[in-house]
Amino acid sequence: MTDFSRVDLGHINLRGSAEDSRFVDGATKVLGQSLPLAANTLTQSLHRIYWLGPDEWQVVTESDRAADLVRQLEAALAGQHVAINDLSGGQVALQLTGTDVPELLARACTLDLHPSLFGVGDCAQSGLAKTNVLLGCIGETPVYEIIVRRSYSEYLLRWLRQKTHSRAGSVSS
Amino acid sequence: MQTNRLDTGGRIDRSKPAGFRFDGRKLQGYTGDTLASALLANGVSIVGRSFKLHRPRGIVGSGAEEPNAIMQIGNGASTCPNLRATQVELYDGLIARTTKGWPGVNYDIAAINDVFGRIFSAGFYYKTFMRPQSLWHVYEKFIRRSAGFGRAPAAADPDKYEHLNAHCDVLIAGGGPAGLAAALAAGRAGARVIIADEQNEFGGNLLATAATLDGAPASDWVQQTTAELSAMDNVTALPRSTVFGYFDSNFLTIAERCTDHLPAIERSGSRERVWRVRAAQVVLAQGAFERPLVFCNNDRPGIMLASAVSTYINRYAVRTGERAVVFTNNDSAYQTAIDLQRAGADVAIVDSRRSSAGATAAIATGIPVLSGHVVVDTVGRKGIKAVRVGRWSGDATQTVDATITIDCDVLAMSGGWSPAVHLQSQAGGRNEWNDELQCFVPGESPQENRVAGSGRGKWSLSDCLEDGLGAGKDAASRSGYTPVDVEAPNVDTEEPASMEPLWRVPASQPPDRCPKQFIDYQNDTSVADVRLAAREGYCNVEHVKRYTALGFGTDQGKLGNINGMAVLAESLGKSIPEVGTTTFRPAYTPVTFGALAGENVGELFDPVRTTALHECHEAAGAPFEVVGQWHRPWYFPQPGEDLHAAVNRECLATRNSLGIMDASTLGKIDVRGPDAVEFLERIYTHNIGKMSVGRCAYGVLLGEDGMLMDDGVMARLGEQRFYLTTTTGGAAAVLSWLELWLQTEWPELDVFLTSLTDQFSTIAVAGPNSRRLLMKIGCDVDLDNAGFPFMSVRDAELAGMPVQLFRVSFSGELAFEINLSSSDAPRMWRTLMQAGEEFGITPYGTETMHVLRAEKGFVIIGQDTDGSVSPVDAGMSWLLSKEKDFLGKRSLSRPDCAREDRKQLVGVLSADGTTVLREGAQLVEDPHARQPVPMCGHVMSSYYSACLGHPIALGLVAGGRSKKGETLYAMQSDGSSTAVKIVSPVFYDPKSERQND
Repeated sequence: MTDFSRVDLGHINLRGSAEDSRFVDGATKVLGQSLPLAANTLTQSLHRIYWLGPDEWQVVTESDRAADLVRQLEAALAGQHVAINDLSGGQVALQLTGTDVPELLARACTLDLHPSLFGVGDCAQSGLAKTNVLLGCIGETPVYEIIVRRSYSEYLLRWLRQKTHSRAGSVSS
Repeated sequence: MQTNRLDTGGRIDRSKPAGFRFDGRKLQGYTGDTLASALLANGVSIVGRSFKLHRPRGIVGSGAEEPNAIMQIGNGASTCPNLRATQVELYDGLIARTTKGWPGVNYDIAAINDVFGRIFSAGFYYKTFMRPQSLWHVYEKFIRRSAGFGRAPAAADPDKYEHLNAHCDVLIAGGGPAGLAAALAAGRAGARVIIADEQNEFGGNLLATAATLDGAPASDWVQQTTAELSAMDNVTALPRSTVFGYFDSNFLTIAERCTDHLPAIERSGSRERVWRVRAAQVVLAQGAFERPLVFCNNDRPGIMLASAVSTYINRYAVRTGERAVVFTNNDSAYQTAIDLQRAGADVAIVDSRRSSAGATAAIATGIPVLSGHVVVDTVGRKGIKAVRVGRWSGDATQTVDATITIDCDVLAMSGGWSPAVHLQSQAGGRNEWNDELQCFVPGESPQENRVAGSGRGKWSLSDCLEDGLGAGKDAASRSGYTPVDVEAPNVDTEEPASMEPLWRVPASQPPDRCPKQFIDYQNDTSVADVRLAAREGYCNVEHVKRYTALGFGTDQGKLGNINGMAVLAESLGKSIPEVGTTTFRPAYTPVTFGALAGENVGELFDPVRTTALHECHEAAGAPFEVVGQWHRPWYFPQPGEDLHAAVNRECLATRNSLGIMDASTLGKIDVRGPDAVEFLERIYTHNIGKMSVGRCAYGVLLGEDGMLMDDGVMARLGEQRFYLTTTTGGAAAVLSWLELWLQTEWPELDVFLTSLTDQFSTIAVAGPNSRRLLMKIGCDVDLDNAGFPFMSVRDAELAGMPVQLFRVSFSGELAFEINLSSSDAPRMWRTLMQAGEEFGITPYGTETMHVLRAEKGFVIIGQDTDGSVSPVDAGMSWLLSKEKDFLGKRSLSRPDCAREDRKQLVGVLSADGTTVLREGAQLVEDPHARQPVPMCGHVMSSYYSACLGHPIALGLVAGGRSKKGETLYAMQSDGSSTAVKIVSPVFYDPKSERQND
């Protein structure tokens, strides 16, 4: 069985150089959690932080904490070459739980989601049903988080609803 | 009556009869049958009429190679045309119709064509119906009707289809002996394996052979092996699944038929599933096709491939005749003779070779063998009655006289075997001619794959099994697994497999005068046709294919192509490898359009983007306009209003009091960094450094060719921070364009770009009462002209919500754009609508927006420009900084860009003051000039302006700015013309006083 739900969360886009210790230390201190520096990984503790690129991260946190965090980051990193944008209004997080989820996603996503290759802590920016998504494996069950632009979210939810209701006719032996 | 059904044996389930209809006749077969085996069991011999000559045709093969048994299956919207009966699984209630012949296959009026067969030679239609050309449309109707096969359904496809992306270490195409062995070896090594086979069960030829493995029927080994594979978590076994495409980077596609084998009532879920597989390693184990032999009248119903005759006996318990002749040039057909004899038929063998191991063995079992003889001709129009046999000299250039007649009701023929090189060829691999095997075998491949089994000329069963194991081990080890030892089962009796080439059998007359010797049954291509093509100068096999239709059709030459190449080679005096093969392209066998479309239909055809205010617009009853992927409200009709009435009302309300629109789809980009000014100076045409914080500017960016690429408002939010808007459709392209320059050309610039398109919603309020509205709902910044002049931006709190407030205008009215978090947008919209009631606030859509901006002469990039319009053409020279360089600037000084007679933006008014011009209409100086009439411009935007009381249009006219006041003519779609006057593109408030109010 597959469960999916829309989760109300705060979203922050953070830009800065991973090679600049002043930035990394400053951000880490405010976030209380280290930035993932390995490509296509995420860290989870107080928040979920996704690696998006060598100078870009996505912080996902409780919805009412985002505005505060943005202010704190702006204060702590003032004067540095950074960009901090609150995207809570522009992104939607969906969470999908169930052992069937990799096969469900495989219907419209070209990533190899085999647990040995895409386990807890792995993430990727990819396409799902012709929309751009940020996909992360955030739990053992497995649980996946999909972050999509708000304008595409209704379309993606429609796709998910259709797919969870229609399974293929015969089960392959 | 299943007159040809054997009492025992086969893989059919006699306890599960399946009733079906064939051209209206009620017949019965069994579950496990194909439509072809059930028809043969019922003694149905004619299943089609040939393409051109309308000759009666019967079932020839038992698989994908079948050229004749092309059926229309099912009724109504889910009917499927042109399925090969040999690949259609029988189920209770199946409805099949033949696709050729009128009124029916048994009596076809067009068979008269056969009488005149000689004039229906290669290129007949090209040569005959060319003149007079004007009559082609008359000919075409009749030719199309008499040609062609089934009929596509007229109604929408009611079935569902799906796609599935899959990844594996080893993909194995084909589940016969080699494929199964490969799967076993790779699976046991631990590799992620997908094995796909087009048939309903795995085993391939092992299900159709009398051979035994380790003392047991071969099907026992198949059963054990498939059971073991199914039990492995790392193996996905897909029956009814055809690997139909092999593309770059080991990307392959598989069509899985999920429900077609079930009675309609038992079907649920998707009908077909296309697997899109990325494989690290590929094993191609598709086997080989038996070749027919080419002799006079070799197309009579009852003439079949020897392997098909064996398959029908062993797999389907159907003996296709009682008196059989086997005609062969190789040993494999001897097994067919033995199978026929065991099934109780009288058998005689005609072998073109003087001696062979096979003959010796057959004679020992009492089967008569005519060695060194060939079948020259056959007798029996609607079914074979006899063969005429002559002595074979070994020289195809000499004639052969038939001296012996043998009565028969089935002729099993075998001209040797051709590996199915299709997928390897699609993969980019070369085929090499092998003289010893007398066939093309796959050569070097540019991709990570290997071919196993008869697909590379390993004819014997033990070779196939060993080859498969080796391929599986190799593929597993190349994808990082340690191979384990797997032992092949022992093949108890190995058949000899020698052959001598026999590409065509000469008759008593020369090939061009003797009865038809068919090479390609489906297209009625004969030896004479190929020779004629060669005589007429066609020497390239691809051209011969197109001239003679050799290798076209649903079977794509799987049956006859190699014989055709050989006949062509002989005619040209070349060798077969010199002639070569035609190109093998996907799909290997036909795939339905439904499967290819998958789920990308209906509401999932393309992503739909909606703004945060979408529900408000839906509630207001707005129809939506598709802009890129966005659905934007088009207009907001009140009861009884059409588009024009609504737009006129919306325009007037906005100009006179207050309009409101959702502008959220504009692209929005946050630009930050110490080099932000420098970066933007290089991209945009205006002076950025001079902008003070809090001010906005209209900006355009050009391609390197100097042409307008996009436009928008740029706001300076801080010393090192800017905010850009882009057009709705250009948002993604502009961001990519900026990132391209930043990352690849100017990496030394410290700038970060972040898309805010979805984060912010934008609500535009426009009209003389817009300021009053904002003051009414509570705004914490001073909104008057002194504190907040036109083209400036403020952080503000509006109705208690944090917003970025822009004083910009795309309507020419006093206007504000409210940027705020999309989460707050619906609340803000409702607040504004409620507070605006006293001003008659009027929501307007994209259509009114277009009219309002056109009244002001504001261009829309993409509507009024087409990639060939420079800012100078569009009247924007004032935007081009003389003090700096920017992208595209140098191109503007090219002589072509400086031409005086370039098409320039102008206003266009119809002279009668009432005609709304057609958008796209060409503008000419003299509508009565001799054709082709010289064109001097065209209309890009055209509307009725309610504010002005007459239609307006924007156009591009050669040298237009100097033509103001002149009269041109706009051509209408019916060929008539309307006089128009060229004017300034600014129709309303030319001094722009209203927006500064």
